[in-house]
Amino acid sequence: MTNAMSAPPTVDLKNINRVELSLSADAQMLFLARMTGAAVASRANFDYERVEDLRLAIDELCVRLMSRGGGPARITLQFQWDEDGVINVVATLVPEDDPTGNGRHSHPTATPASFELSERILDALVDDHGGDSIGGVHREWLRIRRQDPLG
Amino acid sequence: MTSDVQFELAAEEQPGFCVLEVRGEIDVASAPDFQGSLSELIGRGAEVVVVDLSEVSFIDSTGLGVLVGAETQVRQAGKSLRLVVTQPQIMKLLELTGLDEVFTILTNTRDAVRT
Repeated sequence: MTNAMSAPPTVDLKNINRVELSLSADAQMLFLARMTGAAVASRANFDYERVEDLRLAIDELCVRLMSRGGGPARITLQFQWDEDGVINVVATLVPEDDPTGNGRHSHPTATPASFELSERILDALVDDHGGDSIGGVHREWLRIRRQDPLG
Repeated sequence: MTSDVQFELAAEEQPGFCVLEVRGEIDVASAPDFQGSLSELIGRGAEVVVVDLSEVSFIDSTGLGVLVGAETQVRQAGKSLRLVVTQPQIMKLLELTGLDEVFTILTNTRDAVRT
C-alpha cells in the first residue's frame, strides 16, 4: 500500500457507476457517509471484509476533513467505480454560511494521536489516498480495489 | 453478531476492578461520551479497568485515540487497562494500527478481571 496519491482521481460525469452524497459536516451525520460507502462497495461486488474496509476508510476521510474546518460546512462525497472493482472516492469540505447562526455543527478536533492512527488505518486499508487544500476548500480522496479471491 | 444499538455505555464497579461495557458504534459523534465515562471510571481508582468492546460494531481513529489516552492515564496511575475484544473487525483494526502490542486484550470479561 502506498501513502498518498499525487492528485485526486478524475470524476467521469458520464460514468453510470457514480454516486454523490452531500451532507452537513456534522459528527451526527457521518453514519450516512459510512452507509453509502458500504452500499457502493456492495454494489461493486466487494466481499464483507472489504465492505467494512471502505466503511471505515470513508469515516476516516470525513473525520480528517471535518477537523480542518472551523465553521458550518458541507461534505460532498463522490463515489465512482468500474467493472474491475476499483472504487475512487473524493470527499470535499465546502464552508457555507450559517444563516441561523446557531453554530450547531459539531466539528471534531483531531488529536495528534488520532490523526496518526487515521493515517495508519488509511495506509493499511486502501490502495492510495491523499488530500489537499485549495482556496479554502479541503479535499481528501482514496482508491480501493476489490480483493481477488485467489489472492 | 452485534446489535443495532447506535451507542450505549454501562459501567460496573466491583472491589478491585471496574468494567465499562460499550455497545454500538464508537465514532467521532460518540467518542466524547465514551471518553467522559472512561475518564470518570479511571478516576475512581480501581486497580484494573476493563473496557468491554465485545458489542462494539464499529470503531474509528477517534475511538482508538480515546483508548490510547485512557491507557496513558491508567499507566501513569500505576493501574491496568484491559480490553475485551471478540469482533474480528475490531481485532483487525487493533492489529493494523499496532495497538494490539499496546493493550492487554482478552476475549471475555471473566479473564480480564483476573489479576
